[in-house]
Amino acid sequence: MQQDNLHGFSESKRLLSIAKMNNPSGHPMPELSFLAADQSSAGFLLQFQAMASTCELLIDLPESHWALAEQLALQAVRETWRIEFKFSRYRTGNWHDKVHQKRGHWQNLDEESARLIAFADQAWQLSDGLFDITSGILRKVWRFDGSDRLPEPEQVATLLPHIGRQKIQWSLPEDDGVNSKPAQLYLPEGMELDFGGVGKEYAVDRVLGLSLSLLQKAQPDVACSLLVNFGGDIACSGPRANGEPWKVGIEAPDREGKEAALLSLTGGALATSGDSQRYLLKEGKRYSHLLNPKTGWPIENAVRSITVAAPTCSQGGLISSLALLQGAGAENLLKQTGLKYWLLSA
Amino acid sequence: MAVDLEVVVVAVTKMTSQTEQAVAEHQLTHETSKASLTMLLASAGCALLAGLPNQAQASELDNWDFDAATLIYAESDSRVTAAEPVISATRNFDSETKLNLKLALDTLTGASPSGATPSDQAQTFARPSGRGDYDIKAGEQPLDDTFRDSRAAFSATWSAPINRDWAYSAGGYLSSEHDYRSLGVNGSISRYLNEKNTTITLGGSFSSDSIDPEGGLPIGLSAMAVPGSANFDQDFSNSRQGSSDDKTITDFLVGVTQVINRRTLMQFNYSISASDGYLTDPYKIVSVIDDSSGDNYGGNYQVNGQNLYIYEKRPDTRLKQALYWQTKYQRENSDIIDFSYRFMFDDWGINSHTLDLKYRWQLGDHYLEPQLRWYSQSAADFYQRYTTASDYQNVDEISADYRLGDMDTYTVGLRYGYRMAGGSELYARLALYQQQSSGSSGFGKLKEQALYPDTTATMLTVGYKF
Repeated sequence: MQQDNLHGFSESKRLLSIAKMNNPSGHPMPELSFLAADQSSAGFLLQFQAMASTCELLIDLPESHWALAEQLALQAVRETWRIEFKFSRYRTGNWHDKVHQKRGHWQNLDEESARLIAFADQAWQLSDGLFDITSGILRKVWRFDGSDRLPEPEQVATLLPHIGRQKIQWSLPEDDGVNSKPAQLYLPEGMELDFGGVGKEYAVDRVLGLSLSLLQKAQPDVACSLLVNFGGDIACSGPRANGEPWKVGIEAPDREGKEAALLSLTGGALATSGDSQRYLLKEGKRYSHLLNPKTGWPIENAVRSITVAAPTCSQGGLISSLALLQGAGAENLLKQTGLKYWLLSA
Repeated sequence: MAVDLEVVVVAVTKMTSQTEQAVAEHQLTHETSKASLTMLLASAGCALLAGLPNQAQASELDNWDFDAATLIYAESDSRVTAAEPVISATRNFDSETKLNLKLALDTLTGASPSGATPSDQAQTFARPSGRGDYDIKAGEQPLDDTFRDSRAAFSATWSAPINRDWAYSAGGYLSSEHDYRSLGVNGSISRYLNEKNTTITLGGSFSSDSIDPEGGLPIGLSAMAVPGSANFDQDFSNSRQGSSDDKTITDFLVGVTQVINRRTLMQFNYSISASDGYLTDPYKIVSVIDDSSGDNYGGNYQVNGQNLYIYEKRPDTRLKQALYWQTKYQRENSDIIDFSYRFMFDDWGINSHTLDLKYRWQLGDHYLEPQLRWYSQSAADFYQRYTTASDYQNVDEISADYRLGDMDTYTVGLRYGYRMAGGSELYARLALYQQQSSGSSGFGKLKEQALYPDTTATMLTVGYKF
């Protein structure tokens, strides 16, 4: 299993095996490697695919802890793939599909879905309706492929009646100690829920949280530090085991693959919202992929990308999305939060 | 009072293309029930993860917040200087459960006004201990230069939620200096309403203080023994009534903190404080002025060729009530305006008004906070700058302590803070303070004396939070 790779540091790699039932989307098997660039920053790296991103979990443990690293890795992969499948719009037979089968009827919600809807709901309120989980349906007419093919105004207009969080109804779970009632949802016909705006950040937080819980139970004999990175949405448990900060590159949206800034992270999370390669260009005007759910048309003067440092990735993602939806007012909102942020204007 | 509500900085929201007016109306009518962005962030984030950890178990030191600061206070004319190092340590158990421990030490040196009036003659006063005396030159303020004290104060406060809607705090307080000791307990209970946009707090505290002045307790209104006289020891001991006394202070407070909209937070408090026991300052005296016509009209009244001074005496109860209103407003550029007004009145006849305005100017990692404060007080019913030969035997209570007289004070301050990477903060505050007293200007020779000298002081605080 030990081998020297071309870069000159010793590396050992294992392909993890995940049961088919835990891999409903049929992803390639994850890889877990031990990297030892030098003594002080050795650690495990888990890499796998999910949510259209390369997902990584860095585990600061010495090589003697393969078993624990593998346990953490398996749990991380299963959890991520579970969330991805559950909320995916493109699958059949999953939670998302079942909820949409029952449009036009009241239906019970599990706790996790209710929490996500509640979270998205607060974003909707805070953004005065700009952050709306029912706006994903606009993708039917907007395709941000870098071309100049704008939809016809009539096409957009026909979708608007099916957009608007205020048109769906839902209730929180109730439990007064005697009777309990689960959360319930009423989704009208023709409407669609889209968790794309919160799912990945949520998965990052879940993986970090579950990993930390597992570590608390396992009580390894050495300090262990973790960093989760799902395509730039990042959360860590604290500084690295050697006390150094994690070094994280954030990407410039117009120079894919090139790191625009190298950040030091000693705790908390980073989340990035941006329009990267997704836009339309017509007659010199750039149309951002951020759509205003009230008009169905792109937000004017949107900045390119916003990265926010927050205690959790979900919070960072929420703030960066809210800011992005403010168009030219993005920086103002960011300042008001008191959080650290990095903004790339168009 | 130790149960003052903690005021959360209102933090905030978003930009829209609507006009300011429309935004304001919209917020007031539709959004008053919404929590501020940061508060919401914290609660929404926690709820979403349903208790799952988001950071490694902190090391013990990471659970503590410290704030170490030193205040240096200097009055002009090197009257009183004080240095007060304070260290506050807070152990956070979770976001709402914490234990705060605070230790303050202060050292005061200098001279404080004894209460006597300046005179066209030199004056000699017995020291409060009865051992020795001090001289004040003609025309100078009688300052007691034995004024030197060190105080140590320690407090502990525990605060925690009871459930989603209720929280409480409980604390204790101990302070000690060589002639004074104070022991107190306090507690509060808070009820959150309206999605935590409204907080109602009921608080109470009780303190039991004992005073053990140098040289024993003077008998109020009795004559100060004349230094150097043949029967000084006899007179001194006749002016004493035991060595120590005590008092209790009971406070109640009811407060409402209200998030008005996502930029504005208001707080209203009503407090009532009852003191009972020995409330007199054992070191303060009152000059008796000669009001019989003649050469000495307006000079010190003399008995057996010696100036007469009497010890002050205050009532043994005091009931104070105060109303307090504070508003914090965060501007769109994150600057914070903090305005407060306090009205206090008591059964000693003192009314006071305090206006305080701070503006926090955010400059990235730095901030500047200018402050203006105005305080105005009317005199206690028994306050007299001096008494007269024909009156002094008829007074029941009297004090010439300038702190009970008519006065206005002005404070101009500037605070600077720098928030460093890692969350620690270095701050410094410089404040200039001026106190102006006023009252009757006397008669005869007394008219030529400065009875109400201004006091100016400089305060410098340097602190570090980590």
